[in-house]
Amino acid sequence: MAKKLSTEEILAAARKESGKGEAKSGKPADESPAEETGQASEEQPVRKDSVPARPAAAGKPKSTADILAAARAQAKGGSEESESRPAAKPASKAGGGAKSTADILAAARAQAGGGGGEVKSAALKKATAAGDKPAAPAGDKPSVQEMLKAVREGKPVPKSGEAKKTMPPRPERPAPKKSAKKEERRNVLLALVTTPFAFAWTCFSTASLAATLGVARFMFPNVLVEPPSKFKVGPPSDYPFGGVATKWKAQFGVWLVHAEYEGQNLIYALSSVCTHLGCTPNWLESEQKFKCPCHGSGFFITGVHFEGPAPRPLERVGIRLAEDGMLEVDKSKKFQQELGQWVDPASKVVIS
Amino acid sequence: MHSHPDLTSSVIQGLGAFYLVLFLMNAIYTYFSFKKGGHSKFLERLTGQEIPAAAMWALYSAFLLMIAVAHLTSTSSPNAFLFKLPEWVKYYVDVIVADPVSFSVLSVVLFALMILLREWWVKPVVAWILLNVSVIALGLSMTDWDFRQIVGKPDNVPIVAMLFIVGFFTWLYFRRAIENDKRIDEGRDVFEKEDNEKILVWPDLVYTELMCMVILTVILVAWGILLHAPLEEPGSAVKTPNPSKAPWYFLGLQEMLVYYDPWLAGVVFPSVILVGLMAIPYIDFNKGGNGYYSFKERWFAISTFLFGFLPLWVAMIILGTFLRGPNWNMFGPFEYWDVHKLEVLYNVNLSEYFWLYSPEWTPWVGAMPVAPPDASLPQQARIIFLREAPGFIAVIVYLAVLPPLMAMTLFRTYFLRMGFLRFMVFSNLLLMMLALPIKMVLRWAFNLKYIIAIPEWFINV
Repeated sequence: MAKKLSTEEILAAARKESGKGEAKSGKPADESPAEETGQASEEQPVRKDSVPARPAAAGKPKSTADILAAARAQAKGGSEESESRPAAKPASKAGGGAKSTADILAAARAQAGGGGGEVKSAALKKATAAGDKPAAPAGDKPSVQEMLKAVREGKPVPKSGEAKKTMPPRPERPAPKKSAKKEERRNVLLALVTTPFAFAWTCFSTASLAATLGVARFMFPNVLVEPPSKFKVGPPSDYPFGGVATKWKAQFGVWLVHAEYEGQNLIYALSSVCTHLGCTPNWLESEQKFKCPCHGSGFFITGVHFEGPAPRPLERVGIRLAEDGMLEVDKSKKFQQELGQWVDPASKVVIS
Repeated sequence: MHSHPDLTSSVIQGLGAFYLVLFLMNAIYTYFSFKKGGHSKFLERLTGQEIPAAAMWALYSAFLLMIAVAHLTSTSSPNAFLFKLPEWVKYYVDVIVADPVSFSVLSVVLFALMILLREWWVKPVVAWILLNVSVIALGLSMTDWDFRQIVGKPDNVPIVAMLFIVGFFTWLYFRRAIENDKRIDEGRDVFEKEDNEKILVWPDLVYTELMCMVILTVILVAWGILLHAPLEEPGSAVKTPNPSKAPWYFLGLQEMLVYYDPWLAGVVFPSVILVGLMAIPYIDFNKGGNGYYSFKERWFAISTFLFGFLPLWVAMIILGTFLRGPNWNMFGPFEYWDVHKLEVLYNVNLSEYFWLYSPEWTPWVGAMPVAPPDASLPQQARIIFLREAPGFIAVIVYLAVLPPLMAMTLFRTYFLRMGFLRFMVFSNLLLMMLALPIKMVLRWAFNLKYIIAIPEWFINV
């Protein structure tokens, strides 16, 4: 319905302003098709409302003349109710709208008459191409809108050479012009197409970021329930020679050992983690060895492995004699014998 | 050592029920034996008379009934109860089973006997007698406190059931395979071809499946109600239960971890096992036994698979479940789990064996190369490779030189039929499977810890 009316309008406007328009026709005509070709494909799916009317125009190979004819034919069939509505709107827009329509028509006429053979054939092809694809026409309406807008805003004109060739399909545009209401609705539609996605993605990114930050927050708990890595274990005199103190194992996971290693009388702290698969061995006083319950690895009092599958000695942790005469264990430091780290003075306290 | 009573009234009552079930089983067997008729050749030779086999079974069942009644009605002191395992039997079983060497020799010997004596033990009578012997042995062993502690643990009940189920299905396979082997020898059709009557999926198969589902669900529910799953103490990062055991089906892997480095036994070998099992259809060129049971036509494939499954997987589960105790020491089934049991072990790496240096006795061997503490990585690498050269050579020879040798000698026909690539995959899978028992023997016989030991880089083989 609306369509027919709009065509009529176009014709009216064209008749009225044909003289005016012809002078300006050159520029707008050039730029509009360029826009149109770009937009046609993008906006096709959206404008379903305007599609039905299209085929009549689209089906016709010769662009301007055909469209005009079709429009005239359609105008006769147009209903009254629809007539009244569009009539008002165009009027308000008259300044820009009329001009541009006139321009388009003028351009079309110019092409039909003065255009070279090649141009015509190109136009023909275009038109037929548009006719082949039923959906194509639908896309044209919006593009006109855009074109008009672009003209009004005085956007720079895109490529001229190509634009000329692509001109013929323009005739289909008249339809979109129909009403300003449509235009508004289209703006809303446009917004619906673009903004929700943008909105959704923004929401999604924000939520993801918040979740990531929330997880990262767990790395910095308010309260640390694990024991400190540095702690005092009493004076050296608490650890008689040849003994393994297991009293720190349950809380801190270390044994305090006072024994001889490589000719030195030492106190050192062994980590109670088996070097095979990480179980916790037990100190067996009667056998004088650490024995792992999982796979049977055994370690001497020095921490050196001698039985079972453990491939390397138990690890020492840092120990030092603090200024107040107490032994201080530092679990954040590890000393591995197979890497030659047991010579490090921080791994032992020498008792003279 | 411990003051727990071997026998209590409740144990005796329970065993009474146990023998009652065995009696019922044998009573049913007697009935079928009677229906079938036949004489026992063994008894005929013994007595010179024809005695029906069913009479024998009736006698045996009656004996079991009396035993059951004796258990169920026993009111005197449990200590005076006589029907229990003699101490000397316990002692010898412990001595044999608690030693890894004799345990694995025993499992391999049993495996070999299973293959060699297959035509004897698949007879229903023999199988039934074997089942009776094993059940009575289990019942008698239950009179021992330590045995009850291990076998009667709710955790371990499914493993006992599994052993009987594995036994049954192995028997079933051999029974059908041997029947087909006989048929093939006689030039007859195999059983599956002769008995090719087809039945419908619906309702026959689906109905059977439904019944299995229902029965198994009932068993699971009853089991869940009757035997309470044991909960251990709350977990702690600094306390590991002693002994600490993997789920029963992974005990073979845990046993492997005793002999191999974690990344090898925990990652590489399990993957090789899975991939290797998947590869079997692709490396198998033998069309024999396709769609029917047969041992003779596939003796190598069947024996290899069963070797991997029975001595190397099921036997390891038995070992891990029943014989590994505190500190991962080995204990006999009737032995008290003493945390302080002393096992003298001192494991040595191959490189330490190789670089045995003493200026007087072995001057031709240098001292073991040791990287200086400030060595750069290439320097360190050079020294490590030199130190572990014997191990590297051994491993390369094992995995790269042995396959061609096998292709030229023992597996000549296999190589010709398989082609190069398939044979290489096959031989390497076979060698990797055999690597486990080989390493175990090396550990027990020579206290060998690792063939290649690079603790610096956490790589050991």
